[in-house]
Parts: sequence; structure tokens; C-alpha cells
Amino acid sequence: MDCQHLDEVYELWWLGALSEKGSLDLREHLARGCPHCLARVRDAAETVYILGLSSKPARPHPRVKSELLRQISRKAAPHR
Amino acid sequence: MAHILPSRDAAEEILQEVFARLWSESPSLSQEGRSVVAWLVVTAREAAVDRLRALRKTAASAGPQGHSASAGKGSDHGTRKSKAAALAPSAAKSLDGKPEAMKFRPADGARAPATDPVPLAWLPQPKEITLIDSRLVLLHKAINQLPKPQRQALELAVFGGLSESEIAAEMGEPLGKVRTSLRAAVTFVKHRRQAVCGTWTANI
Repeated sequence: MDCQHLDEVYELWWLGALSEKGSLDLREHLARGCPHCLARVRDAAETVYILGLSSKPARPHPRVKSELLRQISRKAAPHR
Repeated sequence: MAHILPSRDAAEEILQEVFARLWSESPSLSQEGRSVVAWLVVTAREAAVDRLRALRKTAASAGPQGHSASAGKGSDHGTRKSKAAALAPSAAKSLDGKPEAMKFRPADGARAPATDPVPLAWLPQPKEITLIDSRLVLLHKAINQLPKPQRQALELAVFGGLSESEIAAEMGEPLGKVRTSLRAAVTFVKHRRQAVCGTWTANI
């Protein structure tokens, strides 16, 4: 696989916007440890982070936090 | 998540699932020296998009009238959310509402289930996220500078969970044009990030 043409697709791969073939080809290529693409895919994660935060934030209801803390307490209890 | 999913309840349910996953993942994240916030943002978007795709699939199997009524907010017609959520893409991913194996992997409606989870080491480090966070307002202003068709295509990918071909169908544009728009949009945001954060390196 020629890596140069992939420089514009790493972000789209993170977003799941590529075709099935494009996505699988890139994943297999990354699994082979291509250093160029691994560096680019890490870099792309930063852009995806920015995009993921580009909508208006919403505050969840307080019960979400209390229910979550209850769940985590149940998970943590056996280890205490 | 509230921007992706059609109801506040669905968004809060996913939020809870993602934080419960974080409880399990945090030792690995810490060991790998990766940003918890980055994990949260990327994983929350992925989980919300997975749920949205599942809702679309349910709506599609319920019949043609069910698409926008059950998978999107009926009162939000004309907004970005309703436009994305009202779609019923043919490649929608099956999801039974359960988080899969507590492993990190990017959203992809077309990904084969056998694909290995994405290594946590592919996520940014905390120092990189701290730098981005300090410039986030500027970076979001840059996104708003994108030409409207590019921004719309990007929003459908980020918040609508659509693939390139699904975006092309939604926008009524040729696939090649949408591909070009999406690539131009992400390249613009990437270059802005690198310039604003001072991490630009020439691609020789």
C-alpha cells in the first residue's frame, strides 16, 4: 500500500466514515506496523478529539452521576 | 452525545456506559500514558454513533414511516441533529444496546467484528490534549470558517455517524465530490491545529 495517498484518510478512519474496504485495508496496513501511518493515525486522533468537542456541550441530569457512582461502587466492592 | 442522539435519555444512558467503561480502562490508560479526556471524547462519540446507527436500523426495519419519527427528534426539523438522525443508511451497524467487550475502537458501521481493538497507544498523550484544550476556542472558530458544504459533510460524519457514501446520498451529491469535501475539511482542521498548537511539521 502506498502510504502517501492515505494522508487525508486517517481522521475519516477514526470517524468511521470510510468504506468497508477502505477501513479494513487501512486497519490491516496499520497492524503491519507501518511507522509513517502509525504516526499519522496518532496525529489524526488529536484532530478527531477537536471535532468531537465542536458541538455545544450539554449538562446531564444529576441522577446520571449518582447512578454512575452507585454502579462503580458495586464494581469496586469485591476488591475491597 | 446529546448532539448525536435523538433523546436526552439515550445520551445520558450512553454517558453512564462510557464512564463505567472508563472505570475498567483507567489502569490501562494510565499504564500507556494516554489522555483520559481524549479517550472519553473519542469513545463517547463512538458509543453514541453506534447507538444512533442501531436506532436507524430499528427504524428502517420497522418500516419507511419509522425512520425520522423514531430515530430523530421530530421537533428538531431543520437542525443539524435531526437531519443526521433522520437518516436510515443501509450500512447501519447492528447494536443491541450493550457495550462490546469494553475495548477501545473507533466507530465504523462497516468494520468487521473480528477486527482487533485499536491500541490505546494510538490516543494522544495528556500533554498534547492540554495544549489543544488551551487553543480549543480558536480551533473551533477555524472549523466554522470551513465552506458550508465541507462543514455540512464533516458534521454528518462526526455527529451523524455517516460514511462517505451515506453522506453523498444525504447531500444529494456525487460520491467523488463528497470525498473531496471531507478530505479538504479534515486537512484544513488538521493544518489549523498544527499551526495553532505549534506542532506543524513539513510532510517531506
